[in-house]
Amino acid sequence: MTQTVTRRRSAEEMAGDAPAWRGRLTSNPAARSTFYVAAFLTWLLLAALFERIPGPASVVDRLIEEFRRGEVFGNFADTFYRFSIGVALSVVAGILIGVLIGLSPMARAFLESPVMVGLSIPAIMWAFLTVMWFGFGHMSPIVTTFLTAVPFVILNVAQGVQGVSRDLRDMSSSYGIPLTRRVRDLVLPAVSGYVLAGVRFAVIMGWNGVLLAEWFGGSGGAGYRARYWYDANQFAGFAAWVVLFVGVIIVLDQLVFEKASRRAFRWRDQTH
Amino acid sequence: MAVLTVKDLCKTFGAGTARSNRVLDHISFDVRGQTFVSIVGPSGCGKSTLLNIISGVEDHTSGHISVTGDSGSPARLGYVFQDPRLLPWRSVRKNMLYVQDSADEAAGTRVDRYLDMVGLSKHGDFFPGQLSGGMQQRVGIARAFAVEPDLLIMDEPFSHLDAITARGLRAQLQEIWSHSKKTVVFVTHDVVEAVELSDRIIVLQPGGKIFEDIEIDLPRPRRQSDPAVATLQAEVLARLENMKALTPTVASAV
Ligand SMILES: Nc1ncnc2c1ncn2[C@@H]1O[C@H](COP(=O)(O)OP(=O)(O)O)[C@@H](O)[C@H]1O
Ligand SMILES: [Mg+2]
Repeated sequence: MTQTVTRRRSAEEMAGDAPAWRGRLTSNPAARSTFYVAAFLTWLLLAALFERIPGPASVVDRLIEEFRRGEVFGNFADTFYRFSIGVALSVVAGILIGVLIGLSPMARAFLESPVMVGLSIPAIMWAFLTVMWFGFGHMSPIVTTFLTAVPFVILNVAQGVQGVSRDLRDMSSSYGIPLTRRVRDLVLPAVSGYVLAGVRFAVIMGWNGVLLAEWFGGSGGAGYRARYWYDANQFAGFAAWVVLFVGVIIVLDQLVFEKASRRAFRWRDQTH
Repeated sequence: MAVLTVKDLCKTFGAGTARSNRVLDHISFDVRGQTFVSIVGPSGCGKSTLLNIISGVEDHTSGHISVTGDSGSPARLGYVFQDPRLLPWRSVRKNMLYVQDSADEAAGTRVDRYLDMVGLSKHGDFFPGQLSGGMQQRVGIARAFAVEPDLLIMDEPFSHLDAITARGLRAQLQEIWSHSKKTVVFVTHDVVEAVELSDRIIVLQPGGKIFEDIEIDLPRPRRQSDPAVATLQAEVLARLENMKALTPTVASAV
């Protein structure tokens, strides 16, 4: 086979003759909006095909109705209150336990199996158990959120701490770097990506947990309200709340975590 | 400058276990003043271990070791490693400040001076990953010099670099060292490099005993092309051939 070698163009040449619209069309925001448009069209199609799938119009109607009745803010306030406490506790406990496991082989031997067990227990189990233990109220969604999220934080942080380079630790001790500076300039930056990934998991898993616990808990909240419409056989109302759940988590993820991780990895992005 | 005293130093990894491995075996030597000492030996003979014991990163098993400043004060140490060992998330300049005393107000200007000396004054704000391997290694060298150490230890600092870069850095090292009052312990497996740079060469043999302790009495600055340097390089190499002949018996005795 013969191979034709054509002249390869420089980056400047290529940028010079590509129209600006093409650059915009192939950008990340463009890809993201393409996804949203496609998802929306799929929804339209499915709603047209199946009677039990409510279309966007009826869902939006129902959403407006829920806002008008004042159901949205009160229930979300409850949910966020429970969710924030559960996630905050899981992040703090997860970092502490994760660092411990990362540094001490004994702690690792002792805690590794419980963490793996925790990872494998689905949120719905915790939702049932905590309702049995704590009854209806704030406690069961908070504990469900915490228990669902904490193993993910532990696992990520422990992995990060174990990955701190031996060479860089030796370098630091040969120069006699004090502990506080070693933590600030070596350990924290090395672990920050893992902590961030852990927190991101905690938020997503915790959101799962809190909604499930509310679904079964019967004491208000977004999950409870979704259940209400489900029990009433009103699928548009149920779908309206699903749209709200999903919307909140996407906004949270995009606004907070994308920014935070871009900041934490600035050094890596500039490297290539 | 520093006084380094090593007496009957032994190091055994995994002492008392089935995998017990004696790496250094009754090593004794002293270095003081503005001396450039090379430790030469085949790979695996314990050179890095010796440096790690000197710098306090590694414990020794038995024997005595002390490092003090000339006046008896605690010695300040600079360490250049085989690889650059820079924090990837900190700029070049911040990497050099990382090992500086935070109370030292002159640290910033010193960092800039040594960055300039290794030809990287324009790269202070770069991240290590944006530099070539040779440039990163130069940052490692500048970092060690910028703490103005009494004792500078270097572990095969040029072995990962291409020949041209390494030659340039060797010349630069001689130049900087001749202006600064430092005791240097330099590890290499390259006898030719050791003869070019050193006042004295300590040869380690496998099993971690000192095989020879050779004075190199040549005028400076030295060039690799200088016939006197070449002659001595050949002579030292020939003496080390003896060690190779001796190695099997050493190995069977261990
Ligand atoms: N942390 C360690 N644990 C066990 N053995 C080690 C350790 N570090 C080095 N060694 C062993 O010590 C010997 C000498 O290693 P090293 O000092 O790195 O040699 P060199 O620098 O001369 O190439 C090698 O056999 C190596 O396997
Ligand atoms: Mg070595």
